[in-house]
Amino acid sequence: MRRTGFLYDERYLLHRTGSGHPECPERLTAIFAGIASSGLLEKVRRITAHRPDLAWIEAVHPRDYIERLEQACLNGETEFHGPDNQMCRATFQVALLAAGGILDTLDLIMSGELDNAFCAVRPPGHHAEPMYAMGFCYFNNIAIAARYLQKRWGIGKVAIVDIDVHHGNGTQLIFEADQTVFYYSIHEHPTFAFPGTGREFEIGRDKGLGYTKNSIVVPGQGDEIYRFLLERDLVPALEMFRPEVILVSTGFDAHADDDMADLKLTTEGYAWVMRKIRELADRFCGGKLVSILEGGYCLERLPELGRDHVAILLGD
Amino acid sequence: MFVTKAMTRKVVTVRPEDNLLDTRALMKSHKIHHIPVVEEGNKLVGIISDRDVRSAMPSTLYYESGSERERVKLEKFKVRDVMTKNVITLSLRDTVQDALLLLLKYDIGGLPVVDGDGRLVGILAVRDLLRALVSVLGIGQPGSLLCLLVDDKLGETKKIVDIVFEEKIPIGSILVARHWEPGKRAVFPYLMSINVGSLKRKFQEKGYTILDPEEWYLEDVERTKEERVP
Repeated sequence: MRRTGFLYDERYLLHRTGSGHPECPERLTAIFAGIASSGLLEKVRRITAHRPDLAWIEAVHPRDYIERLEQACLNGETEFHGPDNQMCRATFQVALLAAGGILDTLDLIMSGELDNAFCAVRPPGHHAEPMYAMGFCYFNNIAIAARYLQKRWGIGKVAIVDIDVHHGNGTQLIFEADQTVFYYSIHEHPTFAFPGTGREFEIGRDKGLGYTKNSIVVPGQGDEIYRFLLERDLVPALEMFRPEVILVSTGFDAHADDDMADLKLTTEGYAWVMRKIRELADRFCGGKLVSILEGGYCLERLPELGRDHVAILLGD
Repeated sequence: MFVTKAMTRKVVTVRPEDNLLDTRALMKSHKIHHIPVVEEGNKLVGIISDRDVRSAMPSTLYYESGSERERVKLEKFKVRDVMTKNVITLSLRDTVQDALLLLLKYDIGGLPVVDGDGRLVGILAVRDLLRALVSVLGIGQPGSLLCLLVDDKLGETKKIVDIVFEEKIPIGSILVARHWEPGKRAVFPYLMSINVGSLKRKFQEKGYTILDPEEWYLEDVERTKEERVP
């Protein structure tokens, strides 16, 4: 069995998005319930969050943006950069704790206390651009994590594997000219799904040319195409790149029962995808793998998806 | 949309007495295929395309491009020798729709825009139209596309817009394909939001068919292995 961390902090439930909003606190409690009820809590190392040094947020977001988000929360505003991003007075603090908890988790991985981890955080991050909140995301958690690994732990090469059904436009934008962070994403075809980026011809630019890779899934497709595309695109990309750590933007919204998008990945399909990523982490990074929650909105499916995810990290 | 909204205003121009080698170099450095030819006072007198230049050049099979021999010969040839003199132009009152129809009708790639005195004020090339199309479709902005099948009768698109409005989702664009299948239309609202799950549920509850793209755009082509999966 592997030493697996599980970041879950009840303060992540304090980010309130209003009634009927899909990015709701119940997403996290559903994931937690699935993990707890299958007896996995005793097998993982529980992690709670600390507020991070703002300098780590500033490695991705300009101070001006951070201050404006804080100000909007203090003013009691209920949305930020458009109606998708509903928020409350606690949102700024919760968003900081999401990033902070991830950094705490990375410390445990890098100091050798843990092999891998699942960070069940809210709000999600992969749509957030340095200066722009988007698609329920305020701080780009995974980008902050990659920069932290590089600056705090001296890691040279970080691979980000994004399996959310939506393209992580923010993450891609942040690293598109950077050859030290490989961004791979598999998602629904951008003509149909938000945000409309992540086309196959987006492959990075300048020094980062060839260090961005997007795999496109046409609406209605599921397990088989995921197997096909991960083998065809992700495996050779990582063989070329040889990452030292793999970070995963885990979105459970490609599931067939999730109506935020149109893909048909099954619960078993998700398990296959995660085992494949774990296998790649074993091959290239001595198993060092940190999964960070992004989307996933089907409250009925999240318990089993969260349970399987943690079970696979533990070595199942 | 009037052409002045979409045209390029900083136009690269040549004079009739300029030579073809310089003109070719201008096209290359600016990555353009058409250059309006102007005289004193920016008066439009012609247009020269990369095709005009190329057909005036000796074959590269005989002369190495950029060779001394080619240069000496080509310096003698002027823009006025090969330019198109009867230029099809746009006026300031013309619209992007006019431009699309004109380009199609004459099978050309660029239209100079002139004022009432025949002075060049801009150019509308295919590239400008593509930019305008991206803007009209709204796809430069983040959003999600819905594909709905409705009856081919008056008021169906309005109902769809009303439902989207009730959910408070901004619309980036809405396309309607009138002849989808007998008695049906396809409506494609591009929504400026990630949050389309409850809207889709609402459409389904109200009896709308959400089109499965898998069924319509790959149906009559032979698929490769990748496309056949699953």
